Amino acid sequence: MFGYVIKRAFQMVLVLWAVSVLVFVMMSFTGDPTYMMVPLDATEEQIAQARRLLGLDHSHLTQYRLFLKNVLQGDFGRSFVFRQPANSLILERLPATLEIVFLAMAIALVVAIPLGVYAGANPKRAGSHAVMAGSLVGISLPGFWVGMVLIFVFAVKLQLFPSSGRGPTQEVFGIRVSFLTWEGLRHIILPAVTLSIGTLAILMRIIRAEMMEVMRQDFVRFARAKGVGQRGVLFRHGLKNALIPLVTVFGLMLGDLIAFATLTETIFAWPGIGKLLVDSIYRGDRPVIVVYLMFVALMFVVVNFAVDVLYALIDPRIKIR
Amino acid sequence: MPMSTIAARTRRGVLALALLAATAAPALAQGKAVTVALTADAVILDPHAANELTGNIMFYHLYDPLVTRTADLKFEPGLAESWQVVDDTTWVFRLRRGVKFHNGDELKASDVVYTVERLKKALMSSLVANIASARAIDDYTVELKTPKPYAVLHMAMAEVLIVSEKYAKAVGDEQMGLKPMGTGPYRLAEWVKEDRIALEAFADHWRGKAKIDRVVFKPITNPATRTASLLTGGVDVIQDLSVRDVASVQANPSFQVITRPSLLNLVIALDTREKSPTIDLPVNPMRDRRVREAITRAINVEALQKVVMNGFSTPSDQYVPSSHLGYVEGLDFRKTYPYDLAKARDLMKEAGFEKGFAMTLDTTNNRYVNDAAIAQALAGMLSRIGITLNLNLMPRSNFFGYIRVPSDKSSFIMSGWDTPSGDAGNMYSVLMYSRGAKAGYGQANRGAYSNPEFDAFIDKADSTSDMTKRDEFLKEATKIAVRDIPMIPIHYEQDIYAARKSVKVVPRMDKFIWAYEMDVN
Repeated sequence: MFGYVIKRAFQMVLVLWAVSVLVFVMMSFTGDPTYMMVPLDATEEQIAQARRLLGLDHSHLTQYRLFLKNVLQGDFGRSFVFRQPANSLILERLPATLEIVFLAMAIALVVAIPLGVYAGANPKRAGSHAVMAGSLVGISLPGFWVGMVLIFVFAVKLQLFPSSGRGPTQEVFGIRVSFLTWEGLRHIILPAVTLSIGTLAILMRIIRAEMMEVMRQDFVRFARAKGVGQRGVLFRHGLKNALIPLVTVFGLMLGDLIAFATLTETIFAWPGIGKLLVDSIYRGDRPVIVVYLMFVALMFVVVNFAVDVLYALIDPRIKIR
Repeated sequence: MPMSTIAARTRRGVLALALLAATAAPALAQGKAVTVALTADAVILDPHAANELTGNIMFYHLYDPLVTRTADLKFEPGLAESWQVVDDTTWVFRLRRGVKFHNGDELKASDVVYTVERLKKALMSSLVANIASARAIDDYTVELKTPKPYAVLHMAMAEVLIVSEKYAKAVGDEQMGLKPMGTGPYRLAEWVKEDRIALEAFADHWRGKAKIDRVVFKPITNPATRTASLLTGGVDVIQDLSVRDVASVQANPSFQVITRPSLLNLVIALDTREKSPTIDLPVNPMRDRRVREAITRAINVEALQKVVMNGFSTPSDQYVPSSHLGYVEGLDFRKTYPYDLAKARDLMKEAGFEKGFAMTLDTTNNRYVNDAAIAQALAGMLSRIGITLNLNLMPRSNFFGYIRVPSDKSSFIMSGWDTPSGDAGNMYSVLMYSRGAKAGYGQANRGAYSNPEFDAFIDKADSTSDMTKRDEFLKEATKIAVRDIPMIPIHYEQDIYAARKSVKVVPRMDKFIWAYEMDVN
């Protein structure tokens, strides 16, 4: 186990380093951000002064060396645009993103598990066909379109929910959250539902397929013969075994949603990190892009690690080496 | 309850109070409140460190300049109650007495001097390029020296926002960007990144307290969401109403649509160098004025307005709007060179390019309204006089570096230019003055236009401290430019706002929504 953690940590450093190199190389092609920040009538001296202020007056290689040196000292660089430390820009917006992502995952799980189990246990029923067709629609619909339709129906027409923004926030252990009040919940529901739809559909299909697989196994037949009721067979014996591959997918999806909730955040004007990434790309704000992508890479590594550990806990046959 | 608490919060009166009571929202400040949806959040609230629209909107709420620019681009006394030109390069500004910063300190001449010095070292140093030095004569008198006679210094001062020396030195640059503190009509109440910037009226503002007590700006990037927020009562005013929503909002009796031509003039710079980078001919055809005229006549600006812009643009008659110094009454680019294909073809033939030629248009695909569609329309229009226009569209992050002088990759560049200074001189000296002749001139002359006669008028305009004379010299320069066609002005974009009917919105020429001018009934 200990060796495994060391190996993983080493891999992580390698991945982070590769990401930083990639971003630096890519950003060296996208033009000089100074030109977007100075007025169009700026003279050469004014541009040179701006470049000096932003730390862009060195060669790309020197800039990268300086970046690495600073990272080793815990300084991830300053945004050209915000003039604030890039990591604090991300941390400041992270709670809002985590909030909708966790709620979206919760919605996806709560809906997908019963429906998936039902469809997997009774593959021939009309209800199962309806569920499967619905999941196909869920996978195919683009998130931004779902968001727009939800806003149109539930905010503009029915006026049940606000159309955008985050509700009032409360501090819990120094983190601002909005799901504790009714008003905050009303704001979070539409974006969370929008974000959950794709994940929900995929989870449901996986659960169904796994359930169908598991239900054919001998131990299920033994359980039935032993006199275990339908519910016990499905959830205690069937679902528990079907969950193993689900954990992997779930972990990856969680990472995916955190990293790329961008579209949903933009449509609902949700103050999360996704919008920061898009804006930073438009502005050529390299320090933010580097730290953001390194953060995302780190998150994927950590989530995958957690998944591996969970695996061993769920299924004693699997050993981590 | 068919309305959110946010909606209720933005309204006053019995209905709102009833709603508030019903939803048990926390007690809110008494008085009028307005919520405005903008297209983006501010990035930094230091007026000397950024140049983007949302930031600019905030700066003018939080800070004041010496000279105030009105919604119609007139210039009035601001923090300075008067000014005079002492000699060709010396100006004296007399400050209003008793002006208070938000922290209660009084504005002094030393703050103005500090502001100029701070700006010299900041990102926006171009704002004080026309100030050589600043000196406090006494607590309420500032003397500014210009490097050369500059008749419109007071107009340039409308963009210099005065900070408190004591505060800026005490908190440092990073905090200046987060916790702004000025003399402006509003003070910062709360800034939740990407969610809202809340401002509250500053009771001791020298103009008198604002009518609206609390203004909340919300960044809503997606245009459809912005419209939905207005319709659902989440916000009272929205910036940049999407063109496709105009008709439906207008049809709704509770809302109004407000439009006005912006200052942003979309212009095409034509390369006039001997050899042009994207034209595979020994001599650049656009050196010939007849070819430039033919191109101008082949561009149907009205069709662009109707078809590409859905009517939301104003064809430009000159390089600057009629409010500006240097605008020539009665001169109209569209009347001088009306759309006329036959004439355009004749001109091409006369110039010896009957068969046409190919070149590349460089422009953006995410900076100006419908920029890519305009580029495609231009290609179609020019093909009718034999010019094959290849399109090189790029995001703005690449564009401004790509086209930068010496523009050695470009022949035909479409970009926007706005001149909030109210003076054509800045645009002419930067965009059309011969390159490399003088420092601070011609640094964005992308077509390398060079006409000594034109330069001479700019030189004269920049060597008088008399505004009337400057205006006359610039008018002469305008006439030469319209004759020579170094650039083709296309249109001014239209600013479109939508608001609840009960809110009085004053659209500003410089786009800087200003709550001080707004009111709610």
